[in-house]
Amino acid sequence: MLLTGTRELDTRRKSALARWSAEVVRRTSAPSVLAPRSVRADSPALIAEPFVVWAGAQAPEALTERELLGLKRYFGLGGVLFVDELEPDAGAFLAGAKAELARVMPDLSPIAIGEENVVFRSFYLLRRAAGRVAKAPKLEAIVRGGVALVLFSPNDLLGALAREAGGVHPFEVVPGGEAQREQACRLAVNVAMYVLCSNYKDDQVHAPFLMRRRGEKK
Amino acid sequence: MSLPIVASAVGSGLEERWAPSSDLPHALVLAVLAAATLGLALLVLELVRTGRRTRVAVSLVLVSGAAALALLVTAVLRPVRVHERATELGASVVVLADGSRSMDLREGDGTRRQRLEAALTALDARFAKLRTRRLAFGRGAAVPLDVPSRGASSPKGPLAVLPATSSDLHAALESIVDGSGELPRAIVVVSDGRLDRPGPSELEAQLRAALGGVAVPIHTVYVATDDPRDATLRSVRIADAVVAHQPSTLTVEVACTGGLECDKLPLRVYELFSDEPPVERASGVAHVDSGRAELTLEVTLDRAGKRILEVELDAPVGDTIPENNRRFITVDVARDRVRLLHVAGRPTYDVRALRSWLKSDVSADVVAFFILRTRTDDVAAAQDELALIPFPVDELFTRHLQSFDAVILQDFDAEPYGLSVHLVRLAEYVRQGGGLIMVGGPNAFVAGNYASTPLAKVLPVGLEGIAADRAVDLASFAPTITKAGRRSPVLEALLGLVGEGLPAMPGTNVVASARDGATVLLAHPTLRVASGAAMPVLALGEFGSGRSVALTVDGSHLLQFGTFAADAGGRAHGALWDALLGWLMRDARFEPAVVELDGGCIAGLSATLRLRAVFGDEPVDAHLTVASMGNGAIVRTESVRLDPDAPATAAVRLGALAPGGYTATVRLDHGGGSAPSRYDFACEVGGDEWADPRPDVERLRAISAHTGGVSVDPADVRSIPTPSASRVVSERRVEPLLPPWGWTLGAAVALGAHWIARRKAGLA
Repeated sequence: MLLTGTRELDTRRKSALARWSAEVVRRTSAPSVLAPRSVRADSPALIAEPFVVWAGAQAPEALTERELLGLKRYFGLGGVLFVDELEPDAGAFLAGAKAELARVMPDLSPIAIGEENVVFRSFYLLRRAAGRVAKAPKLEAIVRGGVALVLFSPNDLLGALAREAGGVHPFEVVPGGEAQREQACRLAVNVAMYVLCSNYKDDQVHAPFLMRRRGEKK
Repeated sequence: MSLPIVASAVGSGLEERWAPSSDLPHALVLAVLAAATLGLALLVLELVRTGRRTRVAVSLVLVSGAAALALLVTAVLRPVRVHERATELGASVVVLADGSRSMDLREGDGTRRQRLEAALTALDARFAKLRTRRLAFGRGAAVPLDVPSRGASSPKGPLAVLPATSSDLHAALESIVDGSGELPRAIVVVSDGRLDRPGPSELEAQLRAALGGVAVPIHTVYVATDDPRDATLRSVRIADAVVAHQPSTLTVEVACTGGLECDKLPLRVYELFSDEPPVERASGVAHVDSGRAELTLEVTLDRAGKRILEVELDAPVGDTIPENNRRFITVDVARDRVRLLHVAGRPTYDVRALRSWLKSDVSADVVAFFILRTRTDDVAAAQDELALIPFPVDELFTRHLQSFDAVILQDFDAEPYGLSVHLVRLAEYVRQGGGLIMVGGPNAFVAGNYASTPLAKVLPVGLEGIAADRAVDLASFAPTITKAGRRSPVLEALLGLVGEGLPAMPGTNVVASARDGATVLLAHPTLRVASGAAMPVLALGEFGSGRSVALTVDGSHLLQFGTFAADAGGRAHGALWDALLGWLMRDARFEPAVVELDGGCIAGLSATLRLRAVFGDEPVDAHLTVASMGNGAIVRTESVRLDPDAPATAAVRLGALAPGGYTATVRLDHGGGSAPSRYDFACEVGGDEWADPRPDVERLRAISAHTGGVSVDPADVRSIPTPSASRVVSERRVEPLLPPWGWTLGAAVALGAHWIARRKAGLA
């Protein structure tokens, strides 16, 4: 979990990261750290691992010079950042995050990505981006060299994943209920597999099979 | 300049003669003599036309005039007496003998070489009084005939040079006229006429080019005239640019000569491998019509680099030269793109890093299969909701395996996915020239069920004697760079970026000792193998025609991402993998030494290999091994000292080799050994020189006709004209008869007397 400025993730959503890891381990062959940790953007520890989640409910504070440098180095080495909007109705965090990331990578801007993108078929075949709410069916991404460096989720994915002790979900998922929560889990798994396998599912060898399966589903 | 006027022998070889003063040009002398003659003629004409004078008066005028002219001429020419000691020197003649392998073909009761040697003896007698240089032609410039050029096993006798694998008369003539030595007055070529150059077309122009405008007669002596009864592979040609995995056209020309009856001749094409039997790549039947047939075959070669093909012809009964029914050709196979099969047992950061690097390499064509879900994973979805496809293990490792240049098994367990049954084929693939990299992880090496399998035998590290419960060591460690690693071009770029230290690895697969001949570049700082040596972490090995790499850790991604990687901008990961794949693909950048054959190889005669170290800055011992392809039998081992600063290469004489393909490997001894550099070559009995055994007398006759020479049979060597001898002066002394003023005074007196005589005779 990426921390910037003085803000911390709310307590209830902290469980979402562990859930995310657990679902990846349960559903796939990929290993995962079951107790994700937080890291500050200006810390050398940021480049310990190439996948970081940045989430918030309000517009983020402006990145300091040290945070900018830390993120530039992170992306320069090929790290991937998942940005989640925790208050989709307001959308202030996502908008602010885009503005701050534009300072990190001024030559790149986000583009919308839907089911045609490899993120939507890196493990599950998905048709739309899911989360606690269903504000937008697509994700957005900052792409360099065909590889997404930043993924923007407008639907509060962490809210859908959050699960407290005893298996209680602290946030209701609307409008799709538990089916939508499952779709959110699948999106989280796909994002993790995208980070680990990059555009593996874009390889030509998979194309005929996946096109056939998409066709069958329609 | 001196014009001989009188010549005579003077005691002990000293000759005496008169000559005009040496400071006068020849033209002036002639002009003076002509003017004097004209003057005398005009005087006579004058006397005749003016007539009616007494005979005495006429005689006085005539005699005084002639005397005056004579003295006037001598006053100009100032005659001197020349004393010279001179010798007659025989003309320079070059005898150019055919030094090619075709001279060993049979002719009559002997060989063409024997007839050539008889001709040389006859020419010695014929040119006994001339200065004769005896040279041989074959490959490149002419070489002295009487000095063995390549080793003690050269043939004895007048033609004491090793037979050449080509017949390049053109290059030999060029070397004779371009050299700094004396130009010969005649050249005598002794040959069977089966020449590579000059070719039969535009012969005159080719000769003019070879001789560089020098007019010298070329006499020819043809030592063979009979077409042998023979079925032959006259030529075997393949496209200049052969690309791995893509079909190429092999064109085979078959011919029958000397009246041998041929109809349908089957032929087969094999590819040779180091330790494996030859593999048939194509076959066909040549339908011979009018003594000739051309057959095109499609051949697909999968391994890049120098590949040896063997073409074999089934000749009919009565064939007198069976050696030219079997040809070996070396094909330089290029890669369009390196085709890689990347199989990973699970998605990890290490897989991510390697895949990203592989996909960023535009010269690599990567086919990847990652196991994203195991049988125990709970996907919580129906099959059609998944983007997962079955791992086509059978298809990949049967039908498509040969289409890959290298296979990367990354943290992949052979058993659950059905790879175990294909490990025999995968090991054979390596021995036949394929590349293999096994990358560590919880499902690799012993933990991946590769111990005691055929694949384990082509890994550079042993897997025997390691219990399953200690197949992986999870203790973090930083690999140490071995002495061989520091001196290997494979780690040069990596160490250039990161220096001596490597990042801490999150554990390792446990392996046994490096196999014989393998090179360990990185080792474990604490784990030991049974021998007490440090456990290999990164090792390279050569097996048959292929290579393999063992990397026992799954943390090479730490060279691409992480605090350690940041210092080098993440480039160290690419530097390592670029080198590992490059070494696997025999990229010259990662070869420590170069081995090459010097001048081809003729079976049964001494061949020479040249060695050169291309990496390292200190003299080093190189160990050369030459083994037969097919069975891997070692036929020669040799150690030589190589100096990287020395421009010259080290030559290793191999002695006589049997026909067939050979693999030469050279290993540099830096104290820790080095990965071997390799060179495949073939030896043929006759090669191109025997592919067309027919003599070409007409070509020799044409060469002589175009240059003003004669073409004769060895029995008629006496009819070759000998150039005239040259005269060489060794001593010369000049004495003037009179001083210049004496001649001038005499001429003045004579002119005065003539004037008086004319006046008395009534002339003006």
